[in-house]
Amino acid sequence: MFQNRAEALALALPAAIFAAAVFLVPVVILLSDGFRVPTGGWTISAYTDFFSNSLNQTVFLRTLRLGAIVTIASAVIGYAAAFAIVSLEPGAKGKVTGLVVLPLMISPVARTYAWIVILGRTGIVNQAFQALGITEAPLRILFSETAIFIGLLQLFLPLMIISLISALENMPKDAIPAARVLGANWFQVFWKVILPLTKEGLVIGGTLVFTGSLTAYITPAILGGSKVLMLETLLYQQVAVSNNFVAASVIAFILIVMSFAANILLKRVATARNKQRSQA
Amino acid sequence: MNKVILASGAALMLAMGAAQTPALAQEKTLTISVYALAQDEYKQIVYDPFQKICGCKLVVETGNSVERLAKMEANKANPVVDMAVISMADALAASRAGLIDKVDTSKISNFGKLYDIAKDPNGDGMSVGYTFYATSIAYRSDKMKIDSWADLLKPEYASHVAWPNVTTNQGPPALYMLGLALAKDTPDLKAPIEAVGAKKGEIVTFYEKSSQLVQLMQQEEIWAAPIGRFTWAPFTKLGFPIAWAMPKEGQTGGMNVMTVTKGSKNRDLALQFMDFWLSTEVQTKLAEKLIDSPSNKDVKLSEALANNLTYGEETAKSLKLIPSAVALDNRAGWIKTWNEKVGQ
Repeated sequence: MFQNRAEALALALPAAIFAAAVFLVPVVILLSDGFRVPTGGWTISAYTDFFSNSLNQTVFLRTLRLGAIVTIASAVIGYAAAFAIVSLEPGAKGKVTGLVVLPLMISPVARTYAWIVILGRTGIVNQAFQALGITEAPLRILFSETAIFIGLLQLFLPLMIISLISALENMPKDAIPAARVLGANWFQVFWKVILPLTKEGLVIGGTLVFTGSLTAYITPAILGGSKVLMLETLLYQQVAVSNNFVAASVIAFILIVMSFAANILLKRVATARNKQRSQA
Repeated sequence: MNKVILASGAALMLAMGAAQTPALAQEKTLTISVYALAQDEYKQIVYDPFQKICGCKLVVETGNSVERLAKMEANKANPVVDMAVISMADALAASRAGLIDKVDTSKISNFGKLYDIAKDPNGDGMSVGYTFYATSIAYRSDKMKIDSWADLLKPEYASHVAWPNVTTNQGPPALYMLGLALAKDTPDLKAPIEAVGAKKGEIVTFYEKSSQLVQLMQQEEIWAAPIGRFTWAPFTKLGFPIAWAMPKEGQTGGMNVMTVTKGSKNRDLALQFMDFWLSTEVQTKLAEKLIDSPSNKDVKLSEALANNLTYGEETAKSLKLIPSAVALDNRAGWIKTWNEKVGQ
């Protein structure tokens, strides 16, 4: 397409300069605040201070836990949904995939506010529980980790399903029948055949869901509020209320590290499974 | 090709230069820093009429207090903003940081019309109050009875209460009144924060934005919440029997003030603008739109309007406001104690 590499680079340069100027440089400046000493020099004391605070520890572990649980839950539900979708006729498959993508076109604010109505004391969940005799009095679901979990799962599940649909479609069609003929039960089919063959989809979906859960602000803010702080809501509090940009920088850096670590971990798990299979 | 790129670049630079050139080089410009709410109404009632009077251009910067103060601090050496409206406590913070100057009240013809509490809220001559508000408890009168701020923590009520987070404007005043109710009103708010912390599992939420309370009240998720009077009107339209509490400890509240930036090159214009905003006509119009309770005592309102605002000399005098110095000197401690007792 291009006569030489320089020509291609020249075309990419304006976009690269723009991205560096408006994204990379501000991010580097912001993150450096967490390591800089006002009088000069560098330190990690902002990080040690952050992690020595018990509230910050609680918030960090809660964010990590919820991110992990949402990712695992979306993988479990996502595999089932994706498997059902790829089994459909081509026409129906397109329509159902469209329905999966549809929520992504609706603002997260609107989707999250809907949960306030659904999960409230007088919401349909509590009404159904009471009508079925499961509970006598309305449950307190809003402003809890459960509410945040439900909101985040609904927010990011489509990303996992789409990633897994793509992975399952690339899987050899005769892999599952062959495993069944050889006597594998459905659990073994999933664990030894489907999972290794769809690991790329799982890694992509898992990274998107986990990173999204870590960085989503609206959903934890609305469904958890300040009663159930997450790192992202704590970050907002530090910037907008306390004007503490050093603490905000620390939290931002932690979130970035967590996102990269999740991606590396998922890739490692997938690579390890590959090695096991090639050695077997 | 190179010629085309050069020509395009030159055209772009010329266009950018043109965009930076004021339409009228001699036109006076006043830059104000305000809260983001009700800007359409402010434009109609305050900004546009003032521009016609002064023959100047008004540049409006909006945002929350923290953002705006941070910006003023960043531009301290060469101020961009000429006049800012902030809370009483933030005005003291700005004063201590050397960001604002004394207000020359001799140039404000409407100064004499202000309630006494609005004339010099911090007692340092650095600010003038343009609106104040009462803070009390909005509650479902068919579900509960509120005679004291401490009633909110009763076992039968606590699980239907939303309490303001300590980081909100309503948080510290509500805690201060709870402290009075508990007969433990120390500036560190330790006792009321501990009392709220003891009930944190039952309290529905610690709200950050009062706008979310209307929906929670509508869904019967909550029956009561301490709120500022400026958010009262939507509650009256919910179709529930909702009352404004008059607890025996009294009502608290807050005040927003006008300040002039230190080093402003448009000081006189800023004072002229402040005077216009404090005029009986403008304050009446803002009150009629239920935007700001008037600090100008010449403003006369109907009973229906007054019921939705913080209105009148008696009300103004009765408010138990936290002194700005107390708020400023204890804010970090309040947040720390709150995070220890309530936040986890």
